[in-house]
Amino acid sequence: MDLIINFTQTLLSQLQSPTLAFLIGGMAISAFGSKLEIPDAIYRFIVFMLLMKIGLKAGIEIRQAELSALVLPAIIAATVGCLIVIIGRFTLVYLPNIRASDAIATAGVFGAVSASTMAAAMIVLEEQGIFYEAWVPALYPFMDIPALILAIVLAGIHKQRSEATHHQKIEVRRIITDSLKGSAVSALLLGMAIGLLSTPDRVVASFYEPLFRGLLSVLMLIMGMEAYTRLAELRKVAQWYAVYAIVGPILHGSIAFGLGTLAHVYAGFSPGGVILLAVIAASSSDISGPPTLRAGIPSANPAAFIGSSTSIGTPMAIAVCIPLFIAVAEVVFDI
Amino acid sequence: MMHQASRVTITAEKLIQDGLTEIIEAEGALGYSVFEGGGKGQHGLHGLLRSPIVDEFAIIKIEVVVTDRAVAEAIAEKVTKAFFADHSGIVYIDNVEILRPTKFGNSP
Repeated sequence: MDLIINFTQTLLSQLQSPTLAFLIGGMAISAFGSKLEIPDAIYRFIVFMLLMKIGLKAGIEIRQAELSALVLPAIIAATVGCLIVIIGRFTLVYLPNIRASDAIATAGVFGAVSASTMAAAMIVLEEQGIFYEAWVPALYPFMDIPALILAIVLAGIHKQRSEATHHQKIEVRRIITDSLKGSAVSALLLGMAIGLLSTPDRVVASFYEPLFRGLLSVLMLIMGMEAYTRLAELRKVAQWYAVYAIVGPILHGSIAFGLGTLAHVYAGFSPGGVILLAVIAASSSDISGPPTLRAGIPSANPAAFIGSSTSIGTPMAIAVCIPLFIAVAEVVFDI
Repeated sequence: MMHQASRVTITAEKLIQDGLTEIIEAEGALGYSVFEGGGKGQHGLHGLLRSPIVDEFAIIKIEVVVTDRAVAEAIAEKVTKAFFADHSGIVYIDNVEILRPTKFGNSP
């Protein structure tokens, strides 16, 4: 009962938070048919700025932290990413009207991580005064890359079995380097390297940090607009994708929350870290995942995986999963 | 004095740009031009009038001019076979007239 009251209260206060308001605003304005456009270059710059700030702070903190604290959460992140793909492979694929390659690609996208969702969660945690280690966002590539690789490998295996085509080698190394070269992960890793190896504290405090919240609000606006636009595509594919996109984030986040709690008990992982890990697992990639999957599983219909991730998955993760896992953590960890 | 040459135009999703240019260079073309754009096809993915958040799904047009018609046809065939079963794209060849043949091919 407490949990439900807590959740509803947190959800209602979330609905007034600027993060969610901009997301819904973007959807509404797109539904209205407005010609408002945020230029592509600005969007890409925002992603860079957000991940740079996250990376810089993570790098600064890693310099001071004990690296052993990172190991268990990193393993959990990779495990959860792979689990999500496996779950999708053995459930979504067998539903009626679903093509296997589309389903595996969708599972891959949900296994991967959304930078915008992660950034939104970080803002909410800070607003609520819930502490998390600054290196938790560094778990992003640990979940993202294994999930994408596994999805592409599973799709390749399935294709070989069903079409008896000649054995096409899956270039795992190329997928890894392509993912690492992607704009989001590159900015994150660069920020981490600079934070670790130099002292950017002042530029972080005076430039990257103050702009974070504002830039995130514009990003939410863009994601909202994109979510509505992609909805038309999602309508073209089976309804099961919509169901998966609603149930998936909650399920995936819960698995990560459970495993994260083990890390809390055995390795002192903070409750805020558990929440953030759960949200990262609940998130579905919109920016870097789709091109990697499109290149790795070309036969997959983008309307399925992009539609489900951007139109429903990401809004679910931001609007429902963030308040949900904060409320659960408040009960479980008594914070 | 104008010379005859063949122009291969490929319009495809940006994701495969590197693969396309590899084929073009492998066939011996001396150069190519790339333009960005938008449009609509049977998949409806490539909006011009809205900013796509994923850059790789935008459209590019690659133009290659070669003096040797066989090279043009080879490029068109290889590109279609390698990519267009799974990715969006079209290719067509037309005849153009050029002034400086040495810029477009090594054949006499």
